[in-house]
Amino acid sequence: MGILDDLRQSVIEGDRDRTQEFMKNAIAANVPAEEILKEGLISAMAEVGRMFECGESFVPEMLIAARAMKSGLTLLRPHLIAAHVQAVGKVVIGTVQGDVHDIGKNLVGMMLEGAGFEVIDLGADVSAEMYIRAVIEHHPDLVACSALLTTTMLRMKDVILALDEAGLRGRVKVMIGGAPITEDYAREIGADLYAPDAASAASRVKELILGIDRP
Amino acid sequence: MTKREVIYAVLEGKKPPYVPWSCGFTKEAREKLQARYGVTDLEDALQNHLLKLGSDIGFFTELGEDRVRDVFGVVWDRSIDKDIGNVEGCVLSEPTLHSYSFPDPLDPRIFADIPGRIAGFWDRFRVFQIGFSLYERAWTLRGMQNLMMDFYDHPAFVHELLNTIADYNIAQVNEALKYDIDAVYFGDDWGQQRGLQMGPKLWYEFIYPVLKRMYAAVHAGDKYVFAHSCGDVDELFDDLIGIGLNCFNPFQPEVMDVAALAQQYCGRLAFHGGLSTQRTLPYGTVENVRAETLRLLETGQEGGYIFAPAHDVEGDVQLENMLAFIDLIQAQPGYRTS
Repeated sequence: MGILDDLRQSVIEGDRDRTQEFMKNAIAANVPAEEILKEGLISAMAEVGRMFECGESFVPEMLIAARAMKSGLTLLRPHLIAAHVQAVGKVVIGTVQGDVHDIGKNLVGMMLEGAGFEVIDLGADVSAEMYIRAVIEHHPDLVACSALLTTTMLRMKDVILALDEAGLRGRVKVMIGGAPITEDYAREIGADLYAPDAASAASRVKELILGIDRP
Repeated sequence: MTKREVIYAVLEGKKPPYVPWSCGFTKEAREKLQARYGVTDLEDALQNHLLKLGSDIGFFTELGEDRVRDVFGVVWDRSIDKDIGNVEGCVLSEPTLHSYSFPDPLDPRIFADIPGRIAGFWDRFRVFQIGFSLYERAWTLRGMQNLMMDFYDHPAFVHELLNTIADYNIAQVNEALKYDIDAVYFGDDWGQQRGLQMGPKLWYEFIYPVLKRMYAAVHAGDKYVFAHSCGDVDELFDDLIGIGLNCFNPFQPEVMDVAALAQQYCGRLAFHGGLSTQRTLPYGTVENVRAETLRLLETGQEGGYIFAPAHDVEGDVQLENMLAFIDLIQAQPGYRTS
């Protein structure tokens, strides 16, 4: 196997130590930073997402894979900057106001990072005003809203209305997700995208923002 | 038949005179019912068949600013979720129990009101409740993401943590068995909207053997085992039955086919729950609630089913929707004549 295959496999297996070792080897071997990113990290996380979507892996496996990916990305980042490699897009993500459940949101953020996006995580209990401020400051391609409760999912509509009122709705796409959310609800409140889980969130965002078909 | 006898019939797979029920409500929903019925104690108005005993999720010390500390030392922020709250901080910041002491499982407060409650509601089926009974207790102490990664990083620690939690629970069970109870209920959440949070491989490796031990302690006292897990967990039912589960809650219709499962498991596993709290109750009309309630009552008429909303009813449910199912369950012909 080549060095990038080793790197990719170590991320899939969530083996942080080996990921760092292979990343250092790839950098030392002068493999272009963008190639390491795409073939070693993004490709690995796409496979992790595929395995999650088809029930071959679950949240713990996704978490350790994302941790390995991040540890490799930290080593790679200076080389990406030096090579002027940009993120494929930018996402502002948060759990909506009144809701402090954040593991689903965190998983979506990790999978989007793993797909090459820059992710600005606003945390939990995020008001519509906070989303607006973040959109103005960061100019994201997508705003992602999470909610676990039927009592808080209604706040997603407030975010979309606030984007409308601020004249920002045309600039960003909106994705929503969380246990009680459905495709119908997303359509009803005017969201652009719904995803039932973290893995499909990443693939659907790629499809929407980058026009890349899901595997 | 008393309510207790009706539940016994349901658990034994016999046809009950009507479908019994036991419905829970969050603080905000309860307040609407209290105003409607003009009482603070809803037991008489609701006529639930299960009498909840024990401490469920334990005792709390007020810390001010909507924060409480449970007996395990976990701080809960109740500024948003006013019933349970959300964990703040991390009690087990490292994967070790070396500097941590479990609370007293025989805390007299847990058992203090059992005789009085049984005397006051003698006709109901008595269920000793242990909330956050395993996986949830573990992650409230360790943090959910930490625990998920500990399955791989520190498996010996996870086994030790789960077994120590089980020892704590079993000590409570053994004490509870000294009272005239009928069942022990273990609350926990393993599921998500699709499948298990930790997946079957880790569930069978870490959770299953500990459940087996806890359920065996209940059956050693010749009592029934009730268990709760939110989410899509029906893949586990056969193995849970194999280790002694008698009744499963909450039976969420958004993640499982309640009618098909009730039929498939009738006589082997009873179900408690079933009414949609993610869709019908908050967003449906009174007619939607009535229709779903009637379908569930029909599903349960041969036995094996205890009606309830699939979660404590949340504050976003209109009073009319709550009254719609309460009126229907209490209007069952067999209930009035039983």
